[in-house]
Amino acid sequence: MRGFVAQGGDAVAILDDEERLVVARIVADVALLLGADAFGEAYSDPAPATDVDDPFEFLRGLEESIREPSDPAILRLLPNAAPTEREVADEFRRLTDGELRAIKTRRLRRIWDQLSRDTYSRDTDGAGSDEWVVPADEALATAAALTDIRLVLASRLGLVTDDDANRLHHEIDLAASALEGDDETALPVDHERVWLGMLYQALTWLQESLVEFVARTDEETDV
Amino acid sequence: MDTQRETEREGNLATRVDDVWVTIVWNDPVNLMSYVTHIFQTYFALSRAVAEARMREVHEHGRSVLSSGPREKMEADVQAMHGYGLWATLQRSGE
Repeated sequence: MRGFVAQGGDAVAILDDEERLVVARIVADVALLLGADAFGEAYSDPAPATDVDDPFEFLRGLEESIREPSDPAILRLLPNAAPTEREVADEFRRLTDGELRAIKTRRLRRIWDQLSRDTYSRDTDGAGSDEWVVPADEALATAAALTDIRLVLASRLGLVTDDDANRLHHEIDLAASALEGDDETALPVDHERVWLGMLYQALTWLQESLVEFVARTDEETDV
Repeated sequence: MDTQRETEREGNLATRVDDVWVTIVWNDPVNLMSYVTHIFQTYFALSRAVAEARMREVHEHGRSVLSSGPREKMEADVQAMHGYGLWATLQRSGE
C-alpha cells in the first residue's frame, strides 16, 4: 500500500488486490449500516450501468429519522445534535437524517465504484492497475468517507478516548511481535480485534495522506 | 404544524432578539488534527492559524465553540459538521 500522492492533478494511492478488496468490502458494509442497498459482492457483480436516483430515498430516511439509532456506530455517524434539548435534537434528526445518510452513502458508493475491478480495467492500461485515482475535486469527499468508515471501526473497537486509541496501537504492536516470535508465554491474540485495528490504522494512514494532498492543493489555489 | 412552528419562531424573534445559539465541536479519538483544521478553515472561513488554534482547543480542552447565531444557522453548521464526521452539537448561548 502506498498513500495518496499528487499525480497529474489527481490524488493517487496504490493498493494491491487484497487491500482493494478489503477496502471495498468495508465501504459496502458501512453503506449497508447507513441503510443503503447492497453494493453487491465486491468484484463478482458488475456495478449497475447507471446510478438511478431512488425517488423514495428521502422519504425512507424520514421514517427512520424519528428515533435515535440504537447501533452506537450509526449514532456516531449521525450523532445527537442537541443533548441538552430533546425537542431540538428530535427536530434536527427529522430534518437532516435522510440527507446526511444520502450524502454519506453517495460518497461510499463512489469509492466502491473506483475500487471495483470493472472500472479498473476500463480506466487503466494495465501498468497502473493498482492505482486508486481520486480526482482533486473529490478528494475532500473521499477523506470524509474515510472518516465515516474509521468512525464505525473505532466504535466496534471501543475507541472512546484518545487513550483508547493510543492503547490500540500498543496492542497491535504487541500482537505483531507475539505472532512473529514463538514466545509461548505471550498473551493470546484476539485475531479479529487485531485485524480490525490494523485496518483502522491503514485507513488512518491513507486518510492522512489524502488530507495532506487536499491542504496542499488548497494552498496552491489560494496563492 | 409547520405553520404553527413558524409563527412561534416569529414570535420568539419579536420578543427575544437575544436568542443566540452556538455550535460546539467536541473532541473524539478518530478525527485527524489535519482534517479537523482543514474543515474549520474551509467551512468557517478561518485563517489557518485560527483554525489550528480551534482544533487544538477541541483536542486539549475537549470542545470549542465554532459559531454563534440564530438557531437555523447553527442547525446548518451542525449538519455540515456531521456530514464531515465531526461530533458537533448546538445549544443556547450561555448554557
